[in-house]
Amino acid sequence: MNEIDAVVYSMGPSEFLGVNEPDKWCVDAVGGRDKPFMRIHTGGATGLSAAQAGFHHVAAGLFDAVLVVGADKVRECKDSQQVLNTIWDPLYERQFGLTTITMAAFQAVRHMHLYGTKEEQMALVAVRSWGNALNNPVAHLKGHITVDDVMMSPYYCWPVKKYDMCPSSAGGAAIVIVSGKKAMKLSTRPAWIRGCGEVANTVFLGDQMGGRAQMDFADSDVLAMAATAAYRQAGIRNPVKEIQVAELYAPFTVCELSMVEALGFCRKGESGRLNEEGFFNMNGEIAVNPSGGTLCANAIAITALARVCDGALQVMGKAPPKMQVKNVRNAVCTGEGGSFQFHAVMVLSADYY
Amino acid sequence: MNDGMTLRGGWNVEYNYAVGTTGKKFFDALIEKKIIAPKCSKCGLVMLPPRSFCERCFVPAEEWVEVGREGTIQAFTIVPVKFESLPEPPYAIAYVLLDGADTALVNFIRKVDLSDLGAAAKKLSIGKRVRVVFEKRRKGTINDFHYELIETGQARRQRSKK
Amino acid sequence: MSHRVAILGVGMTKIEGAKKDQKLDDMVFEASSKALADASVTREGIDSVVISGCDELDGRCISSMLLAMPAGAYLKDEIKVTDEGCYGVILAAMRLMTGLFDLSLVISWCKTSEAPVSDVMRMRWDPFYHRGFGMNHITSTALMAGVYKSQYGIPMDIPARVVVKNRKNGARNPNAHLQRPIKLSEVRSSPVVSWPLRALDCAPESDGACALVLASARKARELKRDPVWLAGFGWATDSYYLGGRDLSKLRSLGIAAGMAYGMARIKNPLKEIDIAEISDFSSYHELMVYEGLGFCRPGRAQDLIKEGLTDMEGVLPVNPSGGLLSSNPFTASGLFRVCEAYLQVKGNAENHQVQGVKRALAHGSSGFCAQGNAVFILSR
Ligand SMILES: [Zn+2]
Repeated sequence: MNEIDAVVYSMGPSEFLGVNEPDKWCVDAVGGRDKPFMRIHTGGATGLSAAQAGFHHVAAGLFDAVLVVGADKVRECKDSQQVLNTIWDPLYERQFGLTTITMAAFQAVRHMHLYGTKEEQMALVAVRSWGNALNNPVAHLKGHITVDDVMMSPYYCWPVKKYDMCPSSAGGAAIVIVSGKKAMKLSTRPAWIRGCGEVANTVFLGDQMGGRAQMDFADSDVLAMAATAAYRQAGIRNPVKEIQVAELYAPFTVCELSMVEALGFCRKGESGRLNEEGFFNMNGEIAVNPSGGTLCANAIAITALARVCDGALQVMGKAPPKMQVKNVRNAVCTGEGGSFQFHAVMVLSADYY
Repeated sequence: MNDGMTLRGGWNVEYNYAVGTTGKKFFDALIEKKIIAPKCSKCGLVMLPPRSFCERCFVPAEEWVEVGREGTIQAFTIVPVKFESLPEPPYAIAYVLLDGADTALVNFIRKVDLSDLGAAAKKLSIGKRVRVVFEKRRKGTINDFHYELIETGQARRQRSKK
Repeated sequence: MSHRVAILGVGMTKIEGAKKDQKLDDMVFEASSKALADASVTREGIDSVVISGCDELDGRCISSMLLAMPAGAYLKDEIKVTDEGCYGVILAAMRLMTGLFDLSLVISWCKTSEAPVSDVMRMRWDPFYHRGFGMNHITSTALMAGVYKSQYGIPMDIPARVVVKNRKNGARNPNAHLQRPIKLSEVRSSPVVSWPLRALDCAPESDGACALVLASARKARELKRDPVWLAGFGWATDSYYLGGRDLSKLRSLGIAAGMAYGMARIKNPLKEIDIAEISDFSSYHELMVYEGLGFCRPGRAQDLIKEGLTDMEGVLPVNPSGGLLSSNPFTASGLFRVCEAYLQVKGNAENHQVQGVKRALAHGSSGFCAQGNAVFILSR
């Protein structure tokens, strides 16, 4: 802890935990006392935003070693969707029982409408994630499930079913970001932060459908913008060829289909079919969520930070044996927050240049 | 009530959200059975829910226009399960692009048989026309109206009238 | 600093008790529009938006969802830091210093009139060991004031004079919430709210939003501006558990100030700083801040007050704007301090301008008993 110069605390909505500004409570537990300490909160994107903030601490030239850390216990509240209803506007939106599940349903019906995506194609995302999670000792949910299991699971908000959704989890995560000089001393194979991007969209879903929408709610176009920035910094021209692993903050199956399109892994509307062809499997073109991802564990405040952890482990070759993808040079990690409006991207690389 | 491993506690914090002059104007119009929307002075975007500025042009939106009482479904869902403190299931909600507005507005969509989810989802598909139905007693809140489907024959009749 | 950071402009709403004519986003839009206008830049040119607020006071569990857009972040790189607005300046400055960004908008807001502040503060305590005692922001500040008072034997007139000074200054600031100057006798006779604090010893609760435009040195040069420079900044936090802290001192403020002074190469703050805008949650707190900032030795802040050194006419005027004792939009208060310090260095503070300000200090604070502190040095 003496070598840590500053701490960034990754904490999303505090209402699940039932303690306001829990960062202040946890200062002592993360060794923040007497140090520069700040909390980042961008909803579900929090962990990735916090990792970026930690990167900015070091890249600004102010610090040599920064700890980015957080923890969450989403299950300590009675019903997380009761809390998540209060992310919506009290004058115009809350009254209609909006939650994050309704939001996913709206994205799903639009993806189905625009691209003919099938419920079964979304279900397959869950099947793959649960299977991958079997290799991840810290995943919350895991198992051999089938498309039928997903299809037979109860609807929560049509067309979103139980197995299309992430769980409410408890967990913590941390990363240490150090300057290049220090990294060379400490490790022979660190994960280099090569690119960052984060873009905000309007909160209003209704601005992104029909009328004069500048982008469609079915698509994660702001993720594409954030990825473009991160890829440019990282020198990535052809993501399919150059990226081997994607750890995505996709809390619902439809989100993942939308996101892989935005990340340039395929064209809009193609993800459902490519997913069926195994394109995103462990041994596919790009392994998407080898960890099982957000569908298998969602301790909201740190889920996106866990994506960075898992991406870094892959790049460093330190993932659990069966979870490790071979020859990973680049991994892309994402976070998504708010009304699917905040998208953050980080490209991690085994190569300094 | 403690089991030794957990401690029960509540939140119970209440707020008074300021509506602001823009919100008040919109809600006052609802009482008069009108849906009005601010229009961007630069790009002309007609925005619902109402806001005092255009996010895209970053200029105040001071002009108001009345939008139509019919519109098109842009997205919908049906909720068959009960969540703590949220409406009693089943219910359907939809984003509807009202005629004359440029952004869709969410509300309940009522009078649809929700007993069979698959059948209900077919009825509510994107592109279907709905009408605004005002409540008898209006209080100047977003619940002063809801949407109802316009049955196909009916829609054709009404459109030909125009 | 290797990469310097410039401040090009600020925007502030009037600070009031209850802004009912503005929804939260209306208020934020006003502040960000004013800052862009003051800096003579447009939203298009901004490449980094840093916003800061407190969800629990906003009554929205991800309040940046609504407020990112009035902060000008539509399709922009945007990030949110909690809870005190001035932390936004720190994060934005670091982002500019990386060389990845050039022009940043920093925004914070607070509408205490919409929130039950005391309940929200009570819920900051952990449910196991502290919450049961009903401690809120006032009582915890009083706890600290009580320790400080008895440690150094502070006569009652001293904190009262702090209140009189700040309220007198606030009366000259058209933006302030409380604009009526008050007399020593009024402070003395106001009711005790939590010993030793009397009602007038405590900051009010206000509504307001403010914003700043920051730029990289490169961008400031390119735009041919005569900016105010962010010459230094520092921040630090203390323990959550009050039992392990010496409540007569603001330990983390000392560390934050040390970092900021080091960056700005300040050795003798009392001499080298021309004005300070500090977060005075109570009159006693202002005294403790003097000591944390190294304006004097521990326990001697009372001398600065006795000798009038921090009056408008003194060697180091503190809170020419009236400070928090005149206006307190809670978690935005620290960012308001940075805005006010900017106005002083720029010479734009009108009626509450101090003459010849070359270097100003701004201070923000958050958490129970000022757990976290941040210090900024602005200079010509
Ligand atoms: Zn416009």
